[in-house]
Amino acid sequence: MKELYRVAGTVNRDFVGQITYTVCLEKPLRELDIQFTFDKQRFAEADITPELLRDTAQTLREQYGQELSDEALRRAILGEMKTEIHTLATIDGEFIGCVHKQLTDRHMHYAWPEASEGCIPRETFSGVLKVTVLVFNVIKDDTHYALTVRGK
Amino acid sequence: MLKRYELHNHTTQSDASITCAELVDLMVRDRVDVFALTDHNTISGHRIVKALLEEKKPPIQCVYGMEYTTYYGHILCLNLDRYVPWDSIDRNCPEKLFRACRAAGALAGIAHPFSYGAPFARGCRFDMTVTDFSQVDFIEVFNNPEPLHEVNERGLNWWQSLVLRGERLAATSGMDLHGAWDMSMNFATYCEGEPGGDPAAELARAIRNQRTWLSKGLALRAARTDGGVRFHLEGVHKPGFVPGKRYWLALTGSDGTRTWDITAGERTLSDRELGDAPVLIPKLYSDSADIEHLICIAPVLRRT
Repeated sequence: MKELYRVAGTVNRDFVGQITYTVCLEKPLRELDIQFTFDKQRFAEADITPELLRDTAQTLREQYGQELSDEALRRAILGEMKTEIHTLATIDGEFIGCVHKQLTDRHMHYAWPEASEGCIPRETFSGVLKVTVLVFNVIKDDTHYALTVRGK
Repeated sequence: MLKRYELHNHTTQSDASITCAELVDLMVRDRVDVFALTDHNTISGHRIVKALLEEKKPPIQCVYGMEYTTYYGHILCLNLDRYVPWDSIDRNCPEKLFRACRAAGALAGIAHPFSYGAPFARGCRFDMTVTDFSQVDFIEVFNNPEPLHEVNERGLNWWQSLVLRGERLAATSGMDLHGAWDMSMNFATYCEGEPGGDPAAELARAIRNQRTWLSKGLALRAARTDGGVRFHLEGVHKPGFVPGKRYWLALTGSDGTRTWDITAGERTLSDRELGDAPVLIPKLYSDSADIEHLICIAPVLRRT
C-alpha cells in the first residue's frame, strides 16, 4: 500500500478533546489502512512523585470520599491510570469506524469484505477522509503520537 | 406479556471479550427475549448481528444501539440505526446530543451515572449538567456489575428524586456485558409486548411511557380497581432466580416509603391507604425491605 499521509504530534498532560486530520483521496481506493500509535500510556514506578500521590489522593477524596493507603494508591496509579486515546474515521462525513480498544499501536484496516473490529467494511474509498483522534486522558506531558494513512 | 430486554452489551467490536456471534449465543442460552447491541462509539456490529439473526434465525430479537462514550459521561442510545456524531459534546449542555439522537429516531439515556470516573476511567461517571430532563428518555438505574451502594443505590436515589419532582424518566437496567458473564440474580428490563411484536417499537413505547420493570425474576404488577390499586406478583422466568420466603410491597412517594406484606402474591390497597402523594414508585423486596433484597422496580403510578 502507498503511504498517503503521515503526521506526528504531542499532547500535553490533562488535554481532553479531539484532533482531526483531513485527507483528500485523489483516487478511489480499494484498500485503506489507518495506523495510530502513541507512547507513555502508563506510569512507571519512577514516575510516582509525592505530588502525583498527593493530587490523586485529593481527587479520590473530593470526588468519591475515598481514602487509600499510600501503597494502595501507588498500586492504583500503576495499574489503573492510563492515557486513553481512541480513533474515529469518516468518509465524506459518513462514519466508517472507531477503535475503542486501548491499543498503543492500532490499525483501522479495510479490504472488502473485511475490516478491523470497530470498523465498517466498504468496497471503495473516495472523497474526503477525516481521522479524528479522541483524547480522553493524558497522564504525562509530551505524549507523542503518530498517524499514518495508507491506501491501495 | 412481559418481554425480557438486556439493554447494555458489548462485543469485540469495541472492548469486550466476546464476539457478536458469542453474544447472540449467550443471550439465547439465557432465554433473553430481546438484547441490545451497544458497543462503545461504534455501530460496526449492527450488520454482523443482523446477518447472524437472518442466517441462523435464533429465537431472539435485537435492538440496535451504541454507548456514546464521551469525556464527561456515557450515553446509552437505543433504536439507533445510523451513527450520530458526538464531537460537539458540551459538558454544560448534553441536551444537544440527546436531541440529535432523538432526531434520528433513537432513545437516549444516561448510563451508570455514578460509576467511578477520573482519574482512573475518565468519562465513566456522568459529569454533565442536564438542565432540561425532558430531553432525556431514561436513566440506567442498575448497571449490574457496579457496586451496589456506591453506584447503583445512588443511581436509584437520583432517578427517584427526579421522578418524584415530576420528570418523565424511565428506569432501565443493564449487564454492561463485556464477557460471557452469569446474569442470574441481576436486574433485567422488562417491557410489555406481543409474541413476535416489533421489539424496537415495544421498547420505545415502554420507555416513552415510563412502563419498564426492572426485575431479578418476579414482576410487581399494578391495576386500578374501584377505589384503589390491586398489586400482584408475576413470574418472569429469569434463569437463576432464587425465590424469597416473604415479599414486601413498598411505595415511595414524596412523603417517604411505606411497606406492606405481599407474600400471598397479591394485595389491594385503597385510595386512603395509598395516600395523597401524586407520584408513587412501587418496589418489591424479598425477605426484608432493603436494597440488598430489592427484586423489582415497577412503573411509576401517577395519581390524578
